[in-house]
Amino acid sequence: MRNLTRLILSGVVAFGVAASGLSLAQPLPKAETILDRYVEVTGGKAAYDQHKTEVLRGTIAFPAQGLTGQLTRYSAAPDKEYSMVELGPIGKIESGVANGIAWEKSVILGPRVKDGDEKDQAVRESRFNAPVEWRKIYSKVETTGVETAEGEECYKVVLTPSTGKPETQFFSKKSGLLVKTTATAASPMGEVDVEVTVSDYKSFGGVLVPTRSKQKAGGQQLEISISNVGVNEAIPPDLFTPPADVKALIDKAKGK
Amino acid sequence: MALILAGAPLYGQLTGAQKQLNLDSFETVWTTIRDQHWEKNPGGLDWQAVHDEFRPKIEKTETMEDVRAVLRDMLDRLHQSHFAILPFAIYQDIEHSEEGDGTPGFDVRALDGRAIVTEVAPGSVAAKARVQAGWEVASAAGKDLAPLIAQLASVPDLHELALERAVMARITGPAGATRRFIFLDGANASRTLDLRLAPPRGEMAPFGNLPPQHVWFESKKLGNTGYVRFNMFLDLVRVMPSFGNAVEACQRCDGMIIDLRGNPGGIGGMAMGMAGWLVDKPGQRLGTMYMRGATLNFVINPRAETFNGPVAVLVDGSSASTSEIFAGGLKDLGRARIFGTRTAAAALPSLIAKLPNGDGFQYAIANYISEGGKPLEGNGVTPDVEVKLTRDALLAGHDPVVDAALDWIQKRKGAK
Repeated sequence: MRNLTRLILSGVVAFGVAASGLSLAQPLPKAETILDRYVEVTGGKAAYDQHKTEVLRGTIAFPAQGLTGQLTRYSAAPDKEYSMVELGPIGKIESGVANGIAWEKSVILGPRVKDGDEKDQAVRESRFNAPVEWRKIYSKVETTGVETAEGEECYKVVLTPSTGKPETQFFSKKSGLLVKTTATAASPMGEVDVEVTVSDYKSFGGVLVPTRSKQKAGGQQLEISISNVGVNEAIPPDLFTPPADVKALIDKAKGK
Repeated sequence: MALILAGAPLYGQLTGAQKQLNLDSFETVWTTIRDQHWEKNPGGLDWQAVHDEFRPKIEKTETMEDVRAVLRDMLDRLHQSHFAILPFAIYQDIEHSEEGDGTPGFDVRALDGRAIVTEVAPGSVAAKARVQAGWEVASAAGKDLAPLIAQLASVPDLHELALERAVMARITGPAGATRRFIFLDGANASRTLDLRLAPPRGEMAPFGNLPPQHVWFESKKLGNTGYVRFNMFLDLVRVMPSFGNAVEACQRCDGMIIDLRGNPGGIGGMAMGMAGWLVDKPGQRLGTMYMRGATLNFVINPRAETFNGPVAVLVDGSSASTSEIFAGGLKDLGRARIFGTRTAAAALPSLIAKLPNGDGFQYAIANYISEGGKPLEGNGVTPDVEVKLTRDALLAGHDPVVDAALDWIQKRKGAK
């Protein structure tokens, strides 16, 4: 769940990390402890396990450009997801992951099948209930310090996936909640540094979800506001099936 | 008038207030480059040291010409194009525009120092008044255009695009208003016509905070060659599918012509998207844009069905930005042959800002390297086949650039 916001933005970024205030006096808690605490403070594993599907609805905005739109993300255990952003003059942008295939389709670039690091990243971020599944997603996690992020003293945790670049998450010392993530997103236009801050946690189906995020990428900023998370809503199974023109590309690549 | 004189004393001693405005202008220029140049150390320079060297020089200046000379010396240190100081009077000419985008229905280009009608829209006010391609627009709204063109053409590094816009600004105005034009027809006879300006061609396309633009798209067949033209890389929800439909309808064509003459660009991503219908090999790119804090590869995403025949791209000095990225990238990849004249060399968002002292300041905020390894900014795209529009050809009803592209496509067909 906490990967959602970054996932929608993968595409842009550049940032200046607002961090400082190293605390050297106290021993740092293990990263495993911090990540497991996040699960507890957001509802506990039992609450997460009750979730089998989620439908997330909200708005997306590029304030500097004056662009606003709607986003919807459908996800289902264990690793299926389909997202749709409708962004006014940019048109519809769809993306999805199913059966290990990650794809995207937009008016501007057309359909495409993701590969390499971009695919690995999409597959990783499609994992349902990611907070409780972190051991399956990351091969190494490490607490590297204490820094102030968004005015809060945070534990800084570096998480390294089995493929791709490490990302850094900042968890509030006080609440245990995730405050900020910095990462390098793989995109067709190249690697882009991304900074995502999240806030306004609200409970949906017994699990706390950040409902606001601000993201910086590639010199652009975008904001996402989640209005509702439908838990265990019925999702048509074919929603996760890639559209026909994406299938055509998959078939073309296979030489069919 | 008093304001103009206060803002832009051309000669003579500067007052204390004017000197302060010049100091403020110096700081604006220096700070803009410090904060917005694509390199953290602009031009590889110690930019603070540049400030410390030139600030005392500005403080000692006694005339506006001295001020401009010092600022230009500072900008010259960058050894990069599209950093310029535009004197107040020229800045006024470039920025001149009346409210409204009403048009008499003809397009003009500066050809050999004169404003020549290159196209008359069917059914337009101009068409009804029998204005013809090849006529010279001697004056518009009481302003003689040849001297204006000569003045602007004398400014080093000024985009041809800016010149064309300055000329068009004299021709367009509020829809519904009547404007007096003096033409020289095909026999060089003077013809005075009062033409009522009409709303421009195309559909209004809003894009966030940008002012809405009229965008049009056309496609047709010239024999068995597809021909596509659109005025801007905007309104992507309408233009991208239209482009795709045109390509898909042309799978059996002898070739395709994509006419980007007069197209000032728009959304850069549309160049990648359109190239995806023309390039079938994955992983290719048009080029790379370097900005402060971001490096963006303009990667082509091949569509499931691509057009694999010959592609001709037509350009001129008003083809800028995304047009240059598209044409330059396809040329470098060997996927298109370019016809026309050198493009605007304005691949980047080169902005013109007004300085506190009234002068204009032009600056680029990114660098773009086309796939062939050459910066487009300041260089532009040089056509494979240079073909100039001429007044004589236009008067004879020909478009020599289209003719050259068609001839090449037919030769390619014949060579198969």
